[in-house]
Amino acid sequence: MESQIELQSEDIQGKANAKLVRFIGDLDATNVETVIEKTFNLLNDGYVNIIADFEKLRYVNSTGLGILLHFSKSAKEKGGSFKIANVNENVYEIIEIIGATSLLEIYDELDEALESLG
Amino acid sequence: MADIRDIRIECKQSDVCPEVAVVTFEGALDSGSIQKIGHSFDVMLEDNYIYAVADMARVTLVSSAALGELMGCRTRLLERGGDLVLAGLSIGIREKLTAMDANKVFKFFNDVRSAVNAYNWEYHDRSESLNLSFPSKLTFVPPVRQLASRIAKQKGYGNRDSFRIETIVDEICNNAVEHGVEGDENTIELLLTIDRKKIEIKVMNTSDPGKINALKEISKSLFVPHILSDEVKRGRGLALVKMLANDFNIECSDVGTCVHVTKLREE
Repeated sequence: MESQIELQSEDIQGKANAKLVRFIGDLDATNVETVIEKTFNLLNDGYVNIIADFEKLRYVNSTGLGILLHFSKSAKEKGGSFKIANVNENVYEIIEIIGATSLLEIYDELDEALESLG
Repeated sequence: MADIRDIRIECKQSDVCPEVAVVTFEGALDSGSIQKIGHSFDVMLEDNYIYAVADMARVTLVSSAALGELMGCRTRLLERGGDLVLAGLSIGIREKLTAMDANKVFKFFNDVRSAVNAYNWEYHDRSESLNLSFPSKLTFVPPVRQLASRIAKQKGYGNRDSFRIETIVDEICNNAVEHGVEGDENTIELLLTIDRKKIEIKVMNTSDPGKINALKEISKSLFVPHILSDEVKRGRGLALVKMLANDFNIECSDVGTCVHVTKLREE
């Protein structure tokens, strides 16, 4: 059985090319395809600035982390950004151990990430 | 009100753990039974028992006075370095004792066996093992990793340690599926051995001759420092395991692969 993950996306007021995406559940090798499809649909639809709210993301493994790096790179290539906020301490530790904190744009609070869009 | 003659208290040595006394109570523990409760613990202490399991499976009532007496008996055991735990409480009595905050004083166990096992775990550093075999498919990995995490939590490991254990099991099992022979008819073996201080995780799978060289390369690269970039898409899993583990070993052969990890309890 696949791990459960839900992506809820919503508009960000005043930012036509941005979306807030709430990740809910576990992100791992069994569901990365779903997450890739949904995220790339947004990027390809012109929402090149994505704020990922990880408040309810309980778990991420190295495969999941790999696609986050991929989203970040792809968003930059399209002239946008992939920003992460509200990371729980367990997930943050995994990102840190992998050495990805310098490659991902991570904010403590969602408001900070939203403000960074300018 | 129950008559004192209705109360039966029997104290005997545990069948499986000689230093533990099992005190079996039967009937209603009320104010009339306080003296008898106290006396049973006097006898127990004279026999040099300091660890006791109160078998409450046949107790019909515990009054606040009797509860106070049990707390006093526990204090006497604690002063000698021991403890008193309660086992086999009915749902009703358990709820009543919890409402009186007795669960903050006593450890509750479902039965005497569980209580004695917990004693062995706590004081004898006894380890417990789980051997699990599951089909070599990615979809089986999430429940397996969550099981490992729950076992760790149930054994008293903290949230962070349990999360790390979940991550280790996840990464090793994913690696076994990815680099082994995939499919329903091929299995992955997981052996977990846990004690109070550490967990040992061993994952074994059948090697796929077409993938074994790639795995050997990854396992070699684990011992060479490298800089992560967003171009690198593979090989992070075992590197992560190596960082989380206190000891990490991987043996690849043409027949199979065995990854052995030791993770110390940190919390």
